[in-house]
Amino acid sequence: MKLKNGLAGAIALGLAFFAGAAFAAPNCGANTGQAATGAPIVVGGIYSNGAPGDWSSSTDAAAAYFACVNANGGINGRPVEYLVEDDQWNPEAASAAAAKLVTDKKAVAMVGNGSFIEMAVNAQTYVDQGIMAMASACAISECFETPNLVSTNQGPLASNLGAAQYAQEELGSKNVACIGLNIPNNGIWACQAVIDYMTSKGGTGSMAMLNPGAPDVNSALLEAVASGADTILLNLPAGLALAVLKAAQEQDLRDSYTWIAPTPLYDLSVPDAVGDYWHGKIWVNAELAPINQGGADGQNWLAVLDAFGKAEDPRDTFSQAGYLSAQFFVKAMMEMDPAQLDDRAAVTAAIKAIKGYSSDLMCGPYYVGDEPYHQPNHAGQMVKVVAGGFEVVRGCYEYDSAYFDRHKAVEKALGLN
Amino acid sequence: MDRSLLRITPSGAAGLIFAAASFVFLPMVLGSYWLAIFTSAAIFAMAISGVAFMYARLGMVSLTQVGLMGIGGWVTLRLNYLWDMPFEVNMVLAALATMICGWILALPALRMRGLYLALVTLMAAGGLEILFATYQFPNGGEGFWGVKIGSNAPFRRPALAQTPEAYLRYVIVVATLGFLFIEGQRRLFPGRAWALIRRSEAAAMAAGVNVTLYKTWAFGIAGAIAGASGALLAGSLGLLDDGTFRSSESIMLFALAVVGGARFWLGAVIAAVLFRVLPGLLNTWGVDTDLAFVIFGAGLLHALITAPNGIAGQIFDLVANLRGKKGKTHD
Repeated sequence: MKLKNGLAGAIALGLAFFAGAAFAAPNCGANTGQAATGAPIVVGGIYSNGAPGDWSSSTDAAAAYFACVNANGGINGRPVEYLVEDDQWNPEAASAAAAKLVTDKKAVAMVGNGSFIEMAVNAQTYVDQGIMAMASACAISECFETPNLVSTNQGPLASNLGAAQYAQEELGSKNVACIGLNIPNNGIWACQAVIDYMTSKGGTGSMAMLNPGAPDVNSALLEAVASGADTILLNLPAGLALAVLKAAQEQDLRDSYTWIAPTPLYDLSVPDAVGDYWHGKIWVNAELAPINQGGADGQNWLAVLDAFGKAEDPRDTFSQAGYLSAQFFVKAMMEMDPAQLDDRAAVTAAIKAIKGYSSDLMCGPYYVGDEPYHQPNHAGQMVKVVAGGFEVVRGCYEYDSAYFDRHKAVEKALGLN
Repeated sequence: MDRSLLRITPSGAAGLIFAAASFVFLPMVLGSYWLAIFTSAAIFAMAISGVAFMYARLGMVSLTQVGLMGIGGWVTLRLNYLWDMPFEVNMVLAALATMICGWILALPALRMRGLYLALVTLMAAGGLEILFATYQFPNGGEGFWGVKIGSNAPFRRPALAQTPEAYLRYVIVVATLGFLFIEGQRRLFPGRAWALIRRSEAAAMAAGVNVTLYKTWAFGIAGAIAGASGALLAGSLGLLDDGTFRSSESIMLFALAVVGGARFWLGAVIAAVLFRVLPGLLNTWGVDTDLAFVIFGAGLLHALITAPNGIAGQIFDLVANLRGKKGKTHD
């Protein structure tokens, strides 16, 4: 009987799989359905995996998209050889990883990078070597303030501002305590922007910093509480943010504060991880579209991951960003002269010429340009953690900060707004 | 001048030939990935030489070496952003500043030996780790700490070493000078004093050796070597991260110095290869680099059980045996 049930279950699962595949066949690149057989085009990617977090979601998604492209005609018949290195949250390893991919392997571009460290170490290398890095899970200021790095995600500064703006406008926040990592170009940079924003709106703010190597979440929480804040912003990787929420739950602090967070908490596993206690009490800024928003590209992202990724690959904003970076890169490459696909300078020029690409995963157009700074994504959505998922509480909105004035001026010059 | 100072031993000649060959051939044959790895390895070989010399010559266990490298790196970065001085000047000043820190560390530690000395130096490493994590490394900001919010300002590499190949050669030269400086000290009066102190502090005092002075001097030398290594690391990357200077790294560095063989220059080289090249190799093979820790543990057990002079001691013994047999054949 058990065997029969098992067999029936397996058949049902198989049918469901084929039905699902039929309804959600991924659409990638030329979408020919034929595997690419030409000489591979080498593309690199660097991610961080080490304490205090795994930042490989974006390179996982980019790898899945490239695998999908390779199974669907590649780029003018040529497959993408996507080489990925782990920087281990270590500057020496980050430098070696870039040396390997950029100089030894002669990658024509870097795509999907996600790190807290590699962009700071390698930003100048990318300039010196004339290579563009289309990052996707960029967490430090160099991602947005150097010439050869452009990121599909917004980074902590923009996402923090989005969360703080919503809290100030909709939730009555007047004093925000920002808990972040004690890294000058990450936590301090992003939290200071929130303090400046709140001050500009007649409120106030403070920051409580964690040592990334040995994070004491309880101390940071108590420091935030002692600041007199009415709102606590968790500017942390998801794992650490969950640890702070756990500590707050133990002290029953939920109803004493408004809890907001930038995009790292926008992960499908978070609603279950935080539990009933927090449902309806945490507001999260989503740098890209809500995960089940139903748009064609949003559905394609999930289909690509289902078909070409691993089951354990996260379905989060950084995964969306990795998918998008890979998609935009492939689109730019397919618009190039096929004879120049191995010419790094030509590829870099093609990436810098990207203008007006769009996706239902993004609130605005994607562009690169030739400025020494890049921030194409500066509008997002706001969601609330509820049982079983997230509820959108505010659709696409532009962030109200002078930080983006120069980017908006560039967009105006490019005819994008 | 003491004529023995310039005497070249077979081991010393082998070391100089090894350094010269590395200087000439490594940058020629290595790809960029391995250039980065070997540059890092050469920097840590120099740092290891400091901790190994203290252990081999005085029997003192210092578990602060990587923390002292952090001080050297911090001073280099701070000076780089403060004044427009050449890298070499900043490196020398960083070495001197770290030497002074080594002396300060030595003063309370001098009353202790063995395990207690190791614990005191470990606590110092822990304190430095907290300082680095709290205040971070200078990145072009104002004030004493020199930290600004946002991106790092550009770092000036040595004028002689603007490319990765040239920088590896530069590091090899500085590391060789570091080894020679330690060897020079060993051959001069401090070396004789250290030998006496290692045998018996009481006997050394009875012979008129100022034990406090020479122990402090040893700490200072190890500090200066660590400071210069930290400066080279800062020059290699253009920035530093507190995660590099955790106290656990100092413990690892000392353990590998023992595995490699603290008495020999080759021991420091082997330790640095294990510390930086082995993880790079594992990464190239697609194996988790944490496997290196298992190998380090096995290496330490091997050293403790069968090789008190480390792998380098075994290699030199093997060479001596082979030469002895060869000599007998010729006889």
